[in-house]
Amino acid sequence: MSTPDHNEKFHEELDLLEQRLLAIVDTAEGMVERAVRSVVTGDIDLAKGVIENDNAIDREYFQIHQDWTTLMARYQPLGPDLRRMAVLLHLNITFERMGDQCVNIAKITQFNEGLPSSDRICELIQEMGDLVRPMIRTAIEAFVRKDLDEARLLPAMDQPVDRINANMYREAVEVADNKNTLEWATKMLMVARALERIGDQAVDFAEQTAYLITGERSSFDEAGLVKSPNDDTG
Amino acid sequence: MTNEISIDDTMTEKTGTSERALPGDSSEGSSPTGTGVIETRAMSVFYGNFQAVADISLNFTPNEISALIGPSGCGKSTVLRSLNRMNDLIPTARTEGEVMYHGENIYAEHVDPVEVRRTIGMVFQKPNPFPKSIFDNIAWGAKINGFKGSKTEMADLVEEALRGAALWDEVKDKLTESGLSLSGGQQQRLCIARAIATKPDVILMDEPCSALDPIATLRIEELMLDLKENYSIIIVTHNMQQAARVSDKTAFFNVKMSDEGMRTGYLVEFSKTDQLFTSPREKDTEDYITGRFG
Repeated sequence: MSTPDHNEKFHEELDLLEQRLLAIVDTAEGMVERAVRSVVTGDIDLAKGVIENDNAIDREYFQIHQDWTTLMARYQPLGPDLRRMAVLLHLNITFERMGDQCVNIAKITQFNEGLPSSDRICELIQEMGDLVRPMIRTAIEAFVRKDLDEARLLPAMDQPVDRINANMYREAVEVADNKNTLEWATKMLMVARALERIGDQAVDFAEQTAYLITGERSSFDEAGLVKSPNDDTG
Repeated sequence: MTNEISIDDTMTEKTGTSERALPGDSSEGSSPTGTGVIETRAMSVFYGNFQAVADISLNFTPNEISALIGPSGCGKSTVLRSLNRMNDLIPTARTEGEVMYHGENIYAEHVDPVEVRRTIGMVFQKPNPFPKSIFDNIAWGAKINGFKGSKTEMADLVEEALRGAALWDEVKDKLTESGLSLSGGQQQRLCIARAIATKPDVILMDEPCSALDPIATLRIEELMLDLKENYSIIIVTHNMQQAARVSDKTAFFNVKMSDEGMRTGYLVEFSKTDQLFTSPREKDTEDYITGRFG
């Protein structure tokens, strides 16, 4: 026998808000792919499309924020509903920033126009993009399925992204004998940094999912296990 | 089914609460258990053959506000009324188990229920001032509870009680006017003043704001937060947001139906309020506070 829902209207609106947020992160995932392709291939039109795409995300971000506030004022949810509301507000900001990072990458495509590039760095940036997009996908699926084990995969998936980003300075030094290539490579360091941030945002997304499931606020350590805030000496 | 509920920090009694003893207590001045101000032990309440609540074990910490919530018919008001023997006034009512007040069972044979109700006061859903002056509402209540001071001392007591209930500034110039001339919110604060004039250390409140508008409700809630410095407060409320706003701990009661169709209330969870309204331990609590409830 199913339990009657005396708060059905609220739950319907909450589900709808969640679907709209998932649509944003879906869009953001596509933007990551296009932003990386634009910066690696120097495709200016593609970069322009990414920037325009972000305007739509920004509009939806404000609208979701407004609708979230209305839901809170009307229903004053408690318990798991309250946790869900807290998570949705957090994710709205996270996904909006994910879009902003894609814009940063797309703008670098524009700045770098006409500069000589390095195949090696392009390959590494492409690799970072290929690592980050499955992270977003996994985080979405963990959230939709409320799968804690899947959410815990994210920190391990983030490690190679961090590693490539940390080594990118050395790659830039390798092309330092050509001033123009160096200028291009310096900008690509910012692309690597943006992709590293998107990876962190995907991990953050998974941590929010864990909070939703467990009710405990904590971050993951590298093995995807919960880490007490007190353990964080950084 | 045993509902033995404990909260880690209930074992740490706050200081500052006067130790009380009921009439007939041979160990006057002691606080035998050293735990809660009121503790129910496997308490059940019956009305005739009907069991209203079953096996309630709760431990209320001094100088805190504890809220009792749950669906209609779960017995939360019955539990509240059993904490100062108010149920004794219902001829068919019978209580089993123990209700310990500073370590002594208030249902013990030698205990005077009138004295219990003086030390464990009650404020009701609907403000019920006497049809007397504002002054007499306080003074009369104190007198019938044994106050024997001089006129000046009585005036001081009235002022102290009205100040304690955050009503003095509004009524100090019209103390001879009828208590019934006040607004609903003021009348309820007058009833709180009347309750605290008898110097209780526990105040029970049975949906004290349900007849009040939102502003008057907020004033009562503010007052409760002030009062808990000196009193322990236990409140029954239908308003979960109110429980979330004012209480330190919340007890959630539910009701179960027997094969014979008898509805009996039981305790599901007694947790810190912050936890209960964000991450409740029990699925039944979760269903209730999110509206998914049968």
